[in-house]
Amino acid sequence: MAPEQSPPGPPGVRIRGLTVVYRTPAGELPAVSGVDLDLAPGTITGVVGESGSGKSTLALSLLNAVQPPGRIAAGSVEIDGLGDVVALGGEGLRRARGRHVGYVFQAAQNSLNPLKTVGKQVLDLGRSHGVEDPRGLLADARDLLGRMGLDGARVLDSYQHELSGGMRQRVGIMLALVLNARLVVLDEPTTALDMITQATILRIVREVHAERGLTTLVITHDLGVVAEVADRLAVMYGGRVAEQGPTREVLAGPRHPYTRGLLGAIPRLVGDIGEARALPGRPPTLADIPADGCVFRERCPLRMDVCETGSPPVVTRGSRSAACHAVRDGDGDRPAVAAATGEDQA
Amino acid sequence: MISGTGITKTFTQRGGVLGAREVPALRGVDFAIPKGGAVSFIGESGCGKTTLGRIIAGLETCDSGEIVIDGVAMSSLSHRRRQPYFRRVQLIHQDPYSALNPTRTIHQALAAPLALRARQTGRPRSWADERARELLGLVGLDPGYVLPRYPHQLSGGMRQRVVIARALTVDPEVLVADEAVSMIDVSLRLGILALLKDLRERLGVSVLFITHDVATARYIGTDGELYVIYRGQVVERGPVESVISAPVHPYTQALLSAIPVLHGLESPGEQRVVPVEASGEHPDGCLFAPRCPFRTERCERERPALGRDGDVPQEHACFHPERRSVVAVPVSRR
Repeated sequence: MAPEQSPPGPPGVRIRGLTVVYRTPAGELPAVSGVDLDLAPGTITGVVGESGSGKSTLALSLLNAVQPPGRIAAGSVEIDGLGDVVALGGEGLRRARGRHVGYVFQAAQNSLNPLKTVGKQVLDLGRSHGVEDPRGLLADARDLLGRMGLDGARVLDSYQHELSGGMRQRVGIMLALVLNARLVVLDEPTTALDMITQATILRIVREVHAERGLTTLVITHDLGVVAEVADRLAVMYGGRVAEQGPTREVLAGPRHPYTRGLLGAIPRLVGDIGEARALPGRPPTLADIPADGCVFRERCPLRMDVCETGSPPVVTRGSRSAACHAVRDGDGDRPAVAAATGEDQA
Repeated sequence: MISGTGITKTFTQRGGVLGAREVPALRGVDFAIPKGGAVSFIGESGCGKTTLGRIIAGLETCDSGEIVIDGVAMSSLSHRRRQPYFRRVQLIHQDPYSALNPTRTIHQALAAPLALRARQTGRPRSWADERARELLGLVGLDPGYVLPRYPHQLSGGMRQRVVIARALTVDPEVLVADEAVSMIDVSLRLGILALLKDLRERLGVSVLFITHDVATARYIGTDGELYVIYRGQVVERGPVESVISAPVHPYTQALLSAIPVLHGLESPGEQRVVPVEASGEHPDGCLFAPRCPFRTERCERERPALGRDGDVPQEHACFHPERRSVVAVPVSRR
């Protein structure tokens, strides 16, 4: 086989009609329903959602790594230089992971092997990917750690328990990047970290992204995290993308009632704290995501009759889109109604 | 009213090549939780805020210092006689998933403490059932739905409400909420915070709020007091709004600077403080000096004590207090 090379620039990703289902006693239930999402080359995209929104399942789909009882039921994930990963399998898929797509797992700070030094784990990674120059790999790992403000040589000689949470998180990022992946997925990169450490990690994510020319996807429940790092933002709810667009524009003028509610539920440091409002109800779980109509309607202040039955159309205006019946009649913009999704669940 | 003076606690860490190591968790902390008041402990993990909360709830003892509950010094009482006092302080854990016994229904979880309460106060057994329904209603749950269910059948937010209802079974004076919303979905967090705020107003319970998220502390009560704790020492203390809007300790400033800015809605504070990577320690110096961008030689020699000076409305432990605007400010909407 020809040596697998990363494409010269950062790769773009096109997710089309992605549906992921989980087998349950109640039948196959969709965790992700007909999601369309583009990751433009060289950008940081943030996916925000609560538990059960399907955001982590979406991220795993980028590696075609959804585990049974889940499976990708429909759709495609096209990655430049790799093709449709949904069609990939076996050895090809294994090699793509790590080489093309780096993944920093949720709670990466707890996912290191406690019995091996970080350096040993780097060597293991190299061996499983057929790296011919283990010394070079260690040097790369050391440089990356140094770049992230750590004493690389010392960290490589350390065991997990000798490192703080913030240091482990940086080790996780190093392991995702050391094989020169140009597409990086970070799942909840700052959960369980302190504020100051979180700010440091987010700064590092931004810097490393720019320096290495990456395409980055950040998955989080925290709008603040996305606001700090992401160029574009996608808000997920009940397995669908409720709204997406350039981060600043979405935050400054959210269109989907869920995005508005989420923003309004964040207590802030200045202004009238009494303005913060909780959303009514609770997010749906896999078992009670409505099969018909809008998945958000139970909690929505703008609920109308049509929300009960019709899947909300994706209304696209410029670089932004929202899936809501209530935003259909915009301020003079031509609503481009894309195909409604989710009506053909197996 | 519950207060403490000079609370000190040191943990001994075993293992490692150097053998046992002494780790000071609290270094002479003074605090007061007024009746019906809101007090928040803010700091990073490992700063001692959780240990302090556990000491206040009577789940841990301090090495030295004194806890006074309603005028009675706890050190003067035997372990057994302390219990009724500490029962007035109830701890709400971070993790509502592990705080409830998975094999018991919510009815059973509430019935046990309420039956005890009924015996103590000479009430009939039927009172316990009534009270369970009343408490669940108080925390915003439907008793008919919740009582027969097991914890796993409830969402995280509902579970946390059950935990709060259970804490209320003993008619506490203080609720200690330790990161009580950090494991709850974002859209539901505010509901739990609003509940704590509401209980404060309706029942007159004090709330001790322990968190690393300053904004949530502000939501519990803008009339409350904020304690900023760094490595076991209170470094800044004062009214919530003045500590947030005009912090003077560089550590408080660093914490506030680290809060994500909602770009598009807010612009960052102009004087954000970023701590430097720690290098070495100064045994007698300011605890924050190794990370402080403003440290001077004096900070490395001497440790500042918490006190008041100048026209600053809050107390601080810094030789060079200076107001800096670090908090993000809202941009005006179009």
